[in-house]
Amino acid sequence: MALDAEKIRADFPLLQTQKIVYFDSACTTLKPRAVIDAERKYYEEMSGCAGRSAHTLAKRTDEAFVGAREKIAKFVGAKADEVIFTKNTTEALNLVIRSFDYSQRKKIVTTQLEHHSALLPIMEQQRRGVAKMELLKTNSDGTFDESSIVSTIDRSTALVVVHHTTNTTGMRSPLERIIKIAHENGAAVLVDGAQGVPHSKVDFRKLGADFLAFSGHKMLGPTGIGCLVGKTEALEKLDTYIVGGETIETVKLNEVKWKKAPKRFEAGIQNYAGAIGLGAACDYLSKIGMQNVEEHEKKMGKKLIEAIQSISGSTIYGTSDSTKRSSLCSFNLNKVPHHQVALMCDSLSKIALRSGTFCAQPAMESLGAPNGAVRASLYLYNTEKEIETFRETLGKIAKLG
Amino acid sequence: MVLCIIALPVFLFLSLFSAKYRPLARRAIDCVFKKVTLRKCETGLDDELKAASIAGIMKLHAPSATFVNKHFEAFSLIFTILMILSFVFTAQGIYNFAVYGNCNGPEGGFCIYNGLQNPAFLKAPGSLDGITAGNATAKIVVIEFGCYSCPYTKAAEDGVLKMLNDYNDQVYFVFKPFPIPTHPYSMEAAIAASCANEGEKYWPYREALFGNQSYVHDKGDVALLDIAHQLNVSGFDSCYAQKKFASFIAQTQKEGQDCGIYGTPTFFVNGKPFVGQNAVNQTDAEIQKLLGSA
Repeated sequence: MALDAEKIRADFPLLQTQKIVYFDSACTTLKPRAVIDAERKYYEEMSGCAGRSAHTLAKRTDEAFVGAREKIAKFVGAKADEVIFTKNTTEALNLVIRSFDYSQRKKIVTTQLEHHSALLPIMEQQRRGVAKMELLKTNSDGTFDESSIVSTIDRSTALVVVHHTTNTTGMRSPLERIIKIAHENGAAVLVDGAQGVPHSKVDFRKLGADFLAFSGHKMLGPTGIGCLVGKTEALEKLDTYIVGGETIETVKLNEVKWKKAPKRFEAGIQNYAGAIGLGAACDYLSKIGMQNVEEHEKKMGKKLIEAIQSISGSTIYGTSDSTKRSSLCSFNLNKVPHHQVALMCDSLSKIALRSGTFCAQPAMESLGAPNGAVRASLYLYNTEKEIETFRETLGKIAKLG
Repeated sequence: MVLCIIALPVFLFLSLFSAKYRPLARRAIDCVFKKVTLRKCETGLDDELKAASIAGIMKLHAPSATFVNKHFEAFSLIFTILMILSFVFTAQGIYNFAVYGNCNGPEGGFCIYNGLQNPAFLKAPGSLDGITAGNATAKIVVIEFGCYSCPYTKAAEDGVLKMLNDYNDQVYFVFKPFPIPTHPYSMEAAIAASCANEGEKYWPYREALFGNQSYVHDKGDVALLDIAHQLNVSGFDSCYAQKKFASFIAQTQKEGQDCGIYGTPTFFVNGKPFVGQNAVNQTDAEIQKLLGSA
């Protein structure tokens, strides 16, 4: 059954209290009441430490925390002990890139299209002399150079870090092919799923990647919670990252026995409320059905591209084929600076957009917008009526040039 | 973009009263600094201000928004120049106010800062020299510093006459001429009125001066002489030609300045000052209060 966006909007308190057109879901999404209630429930009814104290509140917290991990694991097609809670995608990416074993192979393959959260830890490892970065060739329309995948990923490659969907164009990478070639060469694959997991059905097992990172707040969940999903054997090969309480079995001054993943990577008191909230977000999305979410976004994405293309002097970055991208579009208007476009959309019609280089300066440079662009990113609560408002507003602003 | 230069003093001023403007002030400082050192403003404040301005105009009139957007730098520059000029004039006014007690400097005239002066700080004059009326032995002494060419002194005149009529023997009234240089022929009118006083036609002449203020403003000496001739003021022509009372006027003017007079009319009721157009009513209330408590 097709998704009813108007009905869904009733679940989002912010859309009920404020007359806004929220087109900034790639940055962070709005939160449904179910998520807000789940997080509040932790503070009102639990507020304990999971897996430590033995009192009722602690047990209640532990149950909810374990339950959240199971829900999230199920949502992405993984086992519960393959899910590590992090602050966000950034921390998950850093965890893998910094803890990976580069003693035998030093090459990390990535692309210019990655978010800074993936690029910077790789660049840091290169600066430290720990690893060496090499880029897959990408074209100015955001597509991949197929031949470069084969020529770049070789037996010296330790890790391939690549996006599922970019935050600049909404286009997907040829993940299946990259994973296949990486594995043929004995390299591990870390997938940045920040813009993929929230918008399409991602099955970790079927995908075959070794690691998958994503954030809660980009998929209706709370801020401050994210996940690293990793195959058990891949997680066990990672070195420790942040260590402390709950990461160990025993500690002597001359010997530490570490717990297995995911506990080995979850030091200190966790963001229980966030994890429970993310579990509620997974429930919410599962109930709607990710297939329906994806279909709705495809439909909205097509309308969005058509709306922007109808404005004279607009330039869309990445392919203009809406079937090859999510409901996200970066663009510029001729002679009207991107910040001004975004600010004026907000002033004139309360349309929330993002402008700038989206924490992906090398990506924007390769796409031909080194100084930045405007980004409209939609989600399951957006409607055609909102796109029409956006088109009309954009039309007025375009006349300024 | 020069818009940040305008934003800087505005946000600095607002940040004195509210912390929420301090980040904006900091961004404006950074932007101005970058601009002065010929670099690009990277705080985005200029873009935000431009977008907000253009969006505001667009809501009212879209073609105007297009025009302003196209010439935004020019508009910004014009407003910046106007702002700098206004700062210069304000600073000059403050300097004059501090040094001369009037923002127009030694010439005097209307000054917006006069409201900043507290009449309570005015010093009562030490002498009763001036043009007098009423009972010299009365317990209540009313002194007026006034200018015959001043519209506010003129506006208070009905109140002065009523006061003299109502309280007659109970009040001793002293008028000290305080000609304001920016008012046309104020000094000449003060000298002429003193000549009329010598010719024992002071009050009719005073009434005629206020009644024909615009005539005096326009014609000067001709008007002053004409009024005197119509009233048959004896000895007026020679008195006026010799400027016989110029030194007297200079003396009352100096006395007024020493008292801190910053506007006319200024009344003192037994030393208590009242300034401005409404001062005569306050004077009346003060007299009633003094009579009631006597």
